[in-house]
Amino acid sequence: MNRRQLLMSGASILSFAAAASLTGPAIAQSGQEVVIGVLFPMSGANAQVGVDARHAVETAADIINNAHDLDLPMAKNAGLAGLGNAKIKLVFADHQSDPQKGRAEAERLITQEKVCALYGCYMSSVSATVSAVAERYSLPFLCCDSSSPSLARRGLKYFFRPAAQDEMFSAAMFDFLDAQKKAGKKVETVGIFFEDTIFGTDSANIQRKLATDRGYKIVADIKYKSNSPSLTAEVQQLKSANPDVLLPSSYTTDAILLMKTMDELGYKPKNIVAQASGFSDKAFFDALGDKAVGVISRASFSLDMAQKRPSILKVNAMYKARSNRDLNDSTSRELMGLLVLADAIDRAKSTDGEKMREALAATDIPGERTIMPWKKVGFGADGQNVDADPVLIQYIGGTFVTIFPSAVAVAEPLWPMNA
Amino acid sequence: MTTQALLQVLASGLLMGLIYALIAVGLSLIFGLMDVVNFAHGEFLMLAMYATFGLVLATTLDPILLMPLVVAVMFAVGVSAYAGVVRYAMRATTNQGMVQIFATFGLAILIQGLAQYFFTPDFKSIQHSWLGGRTLDVGGVFLPWPQIYGGLISLATFGGLFLLITRTDFGKALEATREDQGAVALVGIDRNRVFALGWGLGAALVGLAGAVLAVFYYIHPNVGSTFGLIAYVTVALGGFGSIFGALVAGVVVGLVEALTTVILPPALKSVGIYTLYLGVLFIRPSGLFGRL
Repeated sequence: MNRRQLLMSGASILSFAAAASLTGPAIAQSGQEVVIGVLFPMSGANAQVGVDARHAVETAADIINNAHDLDLPMAKNAGLAGLGNAKIKLVFADHQSDPQKGRAEAERLITQEKVCALYGCYMSSVSATVSAVAERYSLPFLCCDSSSPSLARRGLKYFFRPAAQDEMFSAAMFDFLDAQKKAGKKVETVGIFFEDTIFGTDSANIQRKLATDRGYKIVADIKYKSNSPSLTAEVQQLKSANPDVLLPSSYTTDAILLMKTMDELGYKPKNIVAQASGFSDKAFFDALGDKAVGVISRASFSLDMAQKRPSILKVNAMYKARSNRDLNDSTSRELMGLLVLADAIDRAKSTDGEKMREALAATDIPGERTIMPWKKVGFGADGQNVDADPVLIQYIGGTFVTIFPSAVAVAEPLWPMNA
Repeated sequence: MTTQALLQVLASGLLMGLIYALIAVGLSLIFGLMDVVNFAHGEFLMLAMYATFGLVLATTLDPILLMPLVVAVMFAVGVSAYAGVVRYAMRATTNQGMVQIFATFGLAILIQGLAQYFFTPDFKSIQHSWLGGRTLDVGGVFLPWPQIYGGLISLATFGGLFLLITRTDFGKALEATREDQGAVALVGIDRNRVFALGWGLGAALVGLAGAVLAVFYYIHPNVGSTFGLIAYVTVALGGFGSIFGALVAGVVVGLVEALTTVILPPALKSVGIYTLYLGVLFIRPSGLFGRL
């Protein structure tokens, strides 16, 4: 290399470096994008949940990034006003319903994709590992749709959950049973039937306690192995016990198999009050048709609340245009949660982990400005929103109708369901 | 637990076991023939279920009438899998065993991915069938017709397979090829052709199982993994390559699984099968009827 070549190559290296140093801060300063890592099961048994979730959060991103005539947080303005109208950018990752894959993907999103917050994860068992990673990197984890109460009991600083957890859901379910009993219906025995990960076991622990406290006799208490090829022996045990109310906690595969097996073995449960999840999935009703009529589920959402929350119909139409299905218990929470997170980032005026955390902790969104039946969105010291009131819905006439609490109910419950 | 409830559990376990046997036998056949474990076996099952579902939609005929068509489709899938993937994997000069494992495992992932892409991860279910939703009540023991039918199909298939292998030229060629791959070439049997037909037959058998399952089970890109693992355990328990072993092991797995659920907490239902499996491997590494 002669001197001239050396000079030229040196100049090109310098100019490249200068250009690089210019582009770096330029992007950061204009703040055009706020990158959020989104983890859902995109393959495996729960893949449809992930696909639906993706449509839900993309609908939310549309609401945030473009101007809409909706009375929801972040809807009016295009982008995050607090960050120079920056847009939300979502980076999706597939955790395959596996807590370890969730942990690895969370690490990758933070270190390689440089996301400023994590969002997800449907399955409580995965949310448990992902929130621990977020905590270690000091960035917020917004848990939109996992309902295990133990998630908020680990003293995490960066964990936030706007929706109800299963203690609140289960309390609503037992309030409903109490109300039925008061109205003269026979509700004395319950059967608890739950899958063997955090979601099912936590749900069962609470239901067991509530049943004992409120004087219901537990005649079946069955923990089953999820994704089994057959549930015959389990259903046989339920049939023998024949509780007044069956309280199942299952993901979609098992929910479908449970109902089909009950039908095959001639077991008509008197009543089913489900912990949502698989029982509120569209696939469940499509697979079962008339066999699902009368199933009651706890929920965070019901389309028929549109009279009280006018945004519901518009938002549902936006979601339906993408996914070809209505919002449900899970997708409504997934959609609303991102608005809550974006609202906090907007107020924080920064993507710094601690500042976002402080803004999230100071969240105060009135219930009317959500699509949920919640009183408001605000977080306690443990990151849980205690004002996320649940409802109970029943599958009647090919759709879900709200049946409890009576203040928001639009129909009387069909009780017993096989009447 | 009452006697009636116990009878119910045993009857259900037996019927499910016969279906497990039908799922497993194709896997056993292919292994016996050419020492290749097909890791895409569960995915073949899933494809057969989608084929049944698709044909029901397209023809509006009953799934039972469509079974021969599904079997034919799956035969073609099996032959194609051999011709397109396995044949090349078998040419590997080093580490042939590993290459075969990766090839069929890769095929499994590919099929699952394609199924999710083309069929969506939504759950499908065949709503109407002559047998669907009907149950035979024998003194309080409920036997769903689709499962009874599946069990009968399974038994008939094992009978037919026995005749095919012992009474036909193709069966003799299969047996001869598994005895000595080199020697058959000397007597003019095209080894490649026998292998291709063996894969076709293996896939057709699991195809039949898929067509039976589709009537009463949900259909999903991931359904193969639910049954695939049980098929491997069944084959290992019965003995790799043994067709009679697959039948016995399938029934044993079905019964043990059902009984475990009664004796232990249901969350531990697989413990019984795997304990038995480990026990058999410990005492008899070639499986109950294996010829290893």
